[in-house]
Amino acid sequence: MNTLVVTRLEWRRLLVRPLAWVLAALTLAWLGWNFTLLLGSFLAGQIQRAALPDGPGFTDLVAVPLLGQLAQLAFLVVPLLTMSVIAGERRNGTLPLLFAAGVPASRIVLGKYLAILGWLLLWLLLTLAMPLTLAHATHLDWGKLAAATLGIALMLAALAALGVACSSFASHPAIAAAAALILALVLWSVNLGAQMTGINGGAINWLAMSTHVQPLLRGLVSSADVLWFVLLIALSLALATRRLATDKERG
Amino acid sequence: MTTIIPASPIPTLQLEHVNRRRAGRPAVRDLSLALPRGQVLGLLGVNGAGKSTTLSIIAGALRPDSGEIKLNGEDFLERPELARTWIGWLPERAPLWPELTITEHLDAHGRLRGLRGVALREARTNIVERLELQPLARRLAGVLSQGQRQRLGLACALLHQPALLVLDEPANALDPVQVAALRKLIREQAAAGTAVILSTHLLAEVTTVCDRVAILHEGRLRHAGAVPADDHAALEKTFFEIAMNHPPVQAA
Repeated sequence: MNTLVVTRLEWRRLLVRPLAWVLAALTLAWLGWNFTLLLGSFLAGQIQRAALPDGPGFTDLVAVPLLGQLAQLAFLVVPLLTMSVIAGERRNGTLPLLFAAGVPASRIVLGKYLAILGWLLLWLLLTLAMPLTLAHATHLDWGKLAAATLGIALMLAALAALGVACSSFASHPAIAAAAALILALVLWSVNLGAQMTGINGGAINWLAMSTHVQPLLRGLVSSADVLWFVLLIALSLALATRRLATDKERG
Repeated sequence: MTTIIPASPIPTLQLEHVNRRRAGRPAVRDLSLALPRGQVLGLLGVNGAGKSTTLSIIAGALRPDSGEIKLNGEDFLERPELARTWIGWLPERAPLWPELTITEHLDAHGRLRGLRGVALREARTNIVERLELQPLARRLAGVLSQGQRQRLGLACALLHQPALLVLDEPANALDPVQVAALRKLIREQAAAGTAVILSTHLLAEVTTVCDRVAILHEGRLRHAGAVPADDHAALEKTFFEIAMNHPPVQAA
């Protein structure tokens, strides 16, 4: 129950701060504009594609690329959203209020994480609503779209967990945001060197987030990829919990 | 709004040999004290004496390195969740979430302390009336004056009618009228059976409000006893003897 109280408190704080609204407005406007461009390009090439028996459809050319754009924006948006969740509380001096209410560190972390996750999933749903508005007028590959949505949702969840962990270790929200951004970029492209030399397997490729997102965006759901995200989320939240518990120990 | 807490022979708060280091030095050393229900204990000491650390430990915001803490006879260190309903805490400088209104603050604190629905609304209405916060109810905490912040912090501490009230310099930034109201409120709480522990720099605060006084110096308890009735000078003498680093005075 404590977890939901913390979630509710964090959600409320998120809604009254201008940052979340500004981020939502700017990114949705950007994604709306890109959706229009992708749709224009899709309509322009419709005649040529009609000649291809198995050519790419609306899902491949509009819906999934739009989700890809959201994924790119997430590298900036998620660190900005998560930077204050714990570092901000630490600076305000309000963290002891939660400790003194008998809320364990794990529930504080989980509660805050769920609030951020709620915002991010809403953001994803609003983005997804753009291609879905044309579902009646075009042929959607529902399986591929569901896999791509799952991939982006897992990516957002992982970035949020990483952001919460960075916020728990940082003394200042800006440091938390910078650390979360750098870690996310490193995690995304850690296998870049290996890819350039033609190595497509091994631990370095397994470590990279891109290795696990791209198959999902292509419509391939593998339990190994899902497990990778679950592991990253669990590890990040466990580290955040440990750090917060240390805060209480150290004072 | 005040609920009468049933009498019990077990002290509301009991500390046994509590130790805590902070920033590499001992902040609280071998501290033992007991506080029965309905009593007000004043914690005196110079800056850095360990008052705030002691109160943070009692409130459950900080764990001691060693020692025992019992709340109504139950092991508080084993069951930190007891803080949720039994303790109300006003930390120094009343930390608040600046983006929430007074009403939202009270709701958040109430939920964190286990209040829900009608009980929460009633508790909030009562405390807002009692502390005269109605005109400010929709104001954001971030724009409150220091005195208003302090009153909101006090409201949050009292909202769930705790058995133990922990107040860290509660009169900070309050005007004389508000200080008088605060003293009256503390005595009301004590009369209803709440145990109150408060830290202060003001000796007059102790002689006016407290039943007992404990003086800390360099983390150690140097004096504990009843507040000398209407004898401000005696308390002042004891305090200055300890503060000037004289040998420890025997507990009364």
